[in-house]
Formats: sequence, C-alpha cells, structure tokens
Amino acid sequence: MKWAAWLVAMILGGLLAWTSWGLFPRPALPPWQEATAYWGARNAVAAIVLGARLYDTLFEVLVFAMAMVGVRLALRPLPKRRARPPVIESPLLERAADVLVPAIGVFGVYLAASGHLAPGGGFPAGAIVGTGLLLVALARGIRALAQEFPQPILSQLEYGSLAALLILGGGSLALGWRGGWLLTLANMLILIKVSTGAWTVLEHFAAHRGEV
Amino acid sequence: MEGQVALLLAVSLLVLGLGTLLSRRNVIWKLLGLNVASGGAALFLVAVGHRPQAVPPILGWGPGPAADPLPQALILTAIVIHFATLALSLVYVIFLTEHLHTQDVPKLERGEDE
Repeated sequence: MKWAAWLVAMILGGLLAWTSWGLFPRPALPPWQEATAYWGARNAVAAIVLGARLYDTLFEVLVFAMAMVGVRLALRPLPKRRARPPVIESPLLERAADVLVPAIGVFGVYLAASGHLAPGGGFPAGAIVGTGLLLVALARGIRALAQEFPQPILSQLEYGSLAALLILGGGSLALGWRGGWLLTLANMLILIKVSTGAWTVLEHFAAHRGEV
Repeated sequence: MEGQVALLLAVSLLVLGLGTLLSRRNVIWKLLGLNVASGGAALFLVAVGHRPQAVPPILGWGPGPAADPLPQALILTAIVIHFATLALSLVYVIFLTEHLHTQDVPKLERGEDE
C-alpha cells in the first residue's frame, strides 16, 4: 500500500508542476513605491504586513496567541515529570552558546527595529530569538534557564504585548495612525510576542516530557 | 529560469511531505510530513513572486524590477502559524500517547489500548 500512497503524491505533484509551469514569465508589478512610502516604510513587505493587510496580521497574531494558550491549557492536566539530571553537554556547545547568544539577541532586536527599512521584521526576529533561547536551553539545561524567567512576568509580557498590539492595530485601523514609529513599535511587540510564545512551547514540552 | 528551478524544488518538497503523510502510520511522522509539505507550499508562493533579475522590494535597492512583495508578506505570517499549529498538534499527540499508549493511526482509530 505504501507504493500507492507515494504514487498518489507523485501524480498530484506532477499535476501541480504541469499546471503551474505556465505561471512564468510573471507580469510586471503595479507601482508599489508610492504605496510603500504612504505607510511610512521602505520595505514593501513591512508596508503590506503592518499597513495594507493589517487585519490579516492582527488575526494571525491572535491565532498564534490562541495556539500558545492551547499548549498551556492542554498540558496542564498531564503530570509534570520528575526533573532528571541534565545531560552533560560538551564544553564546545557551552562556549559556543556563551559567545553566540548575545549576538543572536542583538541581531534579533536589530531585525525587529529596522524591519520597515531593510529586510527583517518582527516575525523572523521572534523566531531568531526563540532559536537563541533553544541554544541556551540545550547548553545549560532548561530548568536552570526557566528559573531565570519567572512565569508570571513572562505571561504578563506575552499578554501585555498582545494587548498593546491590538491597541496599536485598532488605532491604525480606526483613527488612521501610520508612520515609521508605528511600524517599529509593532515589530518590537511582535518580536516580544513570538519569542515569549516560542519559549512557552519549549518550557512546557520540556517540563512534561523530561529534560531537553 | 531560477523561478522554475525553485518551483520544481517546491513541488518535490510537497511530494515528499505528502508521501510521508500518506504512507507512514505513526502520528509524529505524519506531522513531520505535513510540516515538510507546508515548507514546500511556502517555497512555491515565494517562487511565484520571482521576476528575472529581481531585487528585494525595498525602496532604493538598485535598478531592476522588484520581486512581488505580496506572497512574501503572506508567507511571513504563515511560517509562524505553521510553528504554532505544529506545537499545538504535538501537544495532542502527547495527550494521545499518555492515554492510549500508542502513536499508530490504525490502532488509534480502533481505540485499542496497547
């Protein structure tokens, strides 16, 4: 039966490749420079994500927040595993984490702060900071790291950034706020939201299924 | 030309993910296949935004046509949603494993306790 499944997948992929071959050459873009400048950005992607399609982004952030709430709530009835002694990692990983993590953090904040001027933005920056947290968790053990981030402050940060983002989005949609300050602020809030969400997932998975 | 190459790569990722999703019996392998397929979908949309000799769609970035920013904006949010939904579905896999002690889909459908 396995070959039948692979055959179905290959036929579907072949159909997709065949029908999408005619997509090229692509038509020329409509003039996007004026619309980008109108939203106070230089990066057209930031102008779309936080300007022209702001509804989309706001509800996407809500979906992300709901998924994180789901992770917390669904794991609550499960028993917490007894803390196992952390796996001894090689000193190479620990030194690499010491050297790399400050650079990763600074790079994430830079990407979020300059996301409307250059390639970047809040979502990739949040993913980068979350990956940096994963690196520290691998090098030093996740329990030691979890004690440095107390849970109440983390949830305040997470829900506070969500509320501030909704207020900013509502102001932009209802009162017509726009400009570089709005994009920078929204990108920083998205950075906080996504990185705390990633840390929530990491911490809950490790707490309920043992040490990373 | 680069657009077509990226498109073929995206379709092969989709085939790989879809084949894993259909042929494996373990739930975690199915989720991994779904994630690979969603990566293929992301690459497909970004490839559609490609233009010959395109530069990133940023004001003042050199002459030449810009890549289409709309699929990029779509994918930017979709990647984060992939991550969130994968995390949520893995939580339910943990739940199933805790209660039914199996990750095998036919056994789960029969409600069998291993």
